[in-house]
Amino acid sequence: MARENNMAVPEFLREAELLKQGAEARVYRAEFLGRPTIVKERFPKRYRHPALDEKLTHRRTVQEVRAILRCRRAGISAPVVYFVDYTCHCIFLEEIVGSSTVRDYIASAQQSDSCKELKLQRLAERVGQVLAKMHDEDVIHGDLTTSNMLLRPSPEGGESDLVLIDFGLSYISALPEDKGVDLYVLEKAFLSTHPNTEELFEKLLKSYKASSKKSSAVIKKLDEVRLRGRKRSMVG
Amino acid sequence: MRMHLIQKLELFPDHRVTQMLFKEVKNAAELKKSAMEGKINGALINPTMLVDPFQVLVAANKAVHLEKVEKMKTRTLYSEIIFNLSPTNNISDAFKRFGISDGDDSVLIVMVDSKDESQDVSDIAARVEGRQVPVEELSSLSDHTKIKKLYKVTPQEEKCGSLLDAVVCRMATKDVMTGLLPAPLLFFGHSLNVPFCPLEQFKC
Repeated sequence: MARENNMAVPEFLREAELLKQGAEARVYRAEFLGRPTIVKERFPKRYRHPALDEKLTHRRTVQEVRAILRCRRAGISAPVVYFVDYTCHCIFLEEIVGSSTVRDYIASAQQSDSCKELKLQRLAERVGQVLAKMHDEDVIHGDLTTSNMLLRPSPEGGESDLVLIDFGLSYISALPEDKGVDLYVLEKAFLSTHPNTEELFEKLLKSYKASSKKSSAVIKKLDEVRLRGRKRSMVG
Repeated sequence: MRMHLIQKLELFPDHRVTQMLFKEVKNAAELKKSAMEGKINGALINPTMLVDPFQVLVAANKAVHLEKVEKMKTRTLYSEIIFNLSPTNNISDAFKRFGISDGDDSVLIVMVDSKDESQDVSDIAARVEGRQVPVEELSSLSDHTKIKKLYKVTPQEEKCGSLLDAVVCRMATKDVMTGLLPAPLLFFGHSLNVPFCPLEQFKC
């Protein structure tokens, strides 16, 4: 079996810096082909049947890679994919050097008092625009949080670029229902991470509505989802 | 000053990738023939389809990986490097676009050496009737219009990253993008994996 005799990546990762360990994957930082790189490794889950585990892990790796490419083709910034190893389910991605998460940006803007309103409103507008574009491409991110959005400083010193990351739960769907749930997940995460930002999130949604061609059906679904929660009722 | 670009592969520490660029090449047809006969242990690439030496490094890394896990789509490491550069899964198409043609006046030679098999770089360089230039000059030879068309790079995409980013992303992900191709194309691409590939340049 290929998984056993291919030790190159596991050996490489042993020397790499572990950044984060989640339930689904481990994220490392390393230099790859001379460039600063992030490696996302989906490790085997022992609690699952091996055949099922292999299939699920493979499919998620493929979905992640596809969503990144689809976003980039539409002009939405996402990390460049350098290499994918389907035998040990590792994705080698461009490291967004010098970036900070939108989460940290909002938190520090809330601390400081100089023109924070304007800065935060501009950011909310930008996020709304990017998500509208992503949903118009029928990409559902699946895990929208302010930690999965990065701000990359632009080289010319202008407005920084919003980069979406972690497409591990993403999939392709044109259903307003799925897009509505995507926004609902963000709303929950946004309001619980950043207290007293209801107005800011409203701004984000307003910008989403203005930018997306198909927003009215999505917002209608969002209102429905808010009443019933993320899971669709199975009654009847 | 050294003209070749030598880079190590972090995943395969005993492998090194060497790139050499030649201009004003007069014997492209002869070089191509030697490569097909297995006399040149390297990949001969048409530099106009390359944006940056990094593109070749990505292709070489993937080729070495696929060789190790026994999942190569072509017969040799060097044909696999050429195949990996292409955005499609059509092998003959990859050779037509990324391999050299008889009349070409520039060529990029890529060699991969490992501990058990070191290559004589100067021996291969001596076969080329042309002028060796630093590999960095590659960018002056690349045909961006043709590259954008072949990789289907959209204008929006260029706003969020470089052409090299777009190209590398497609190379790295092409194996899972087959699902997006129409079925007949998929069938055709796979049918070329059989041993009688018409443009199999490199034989062992």
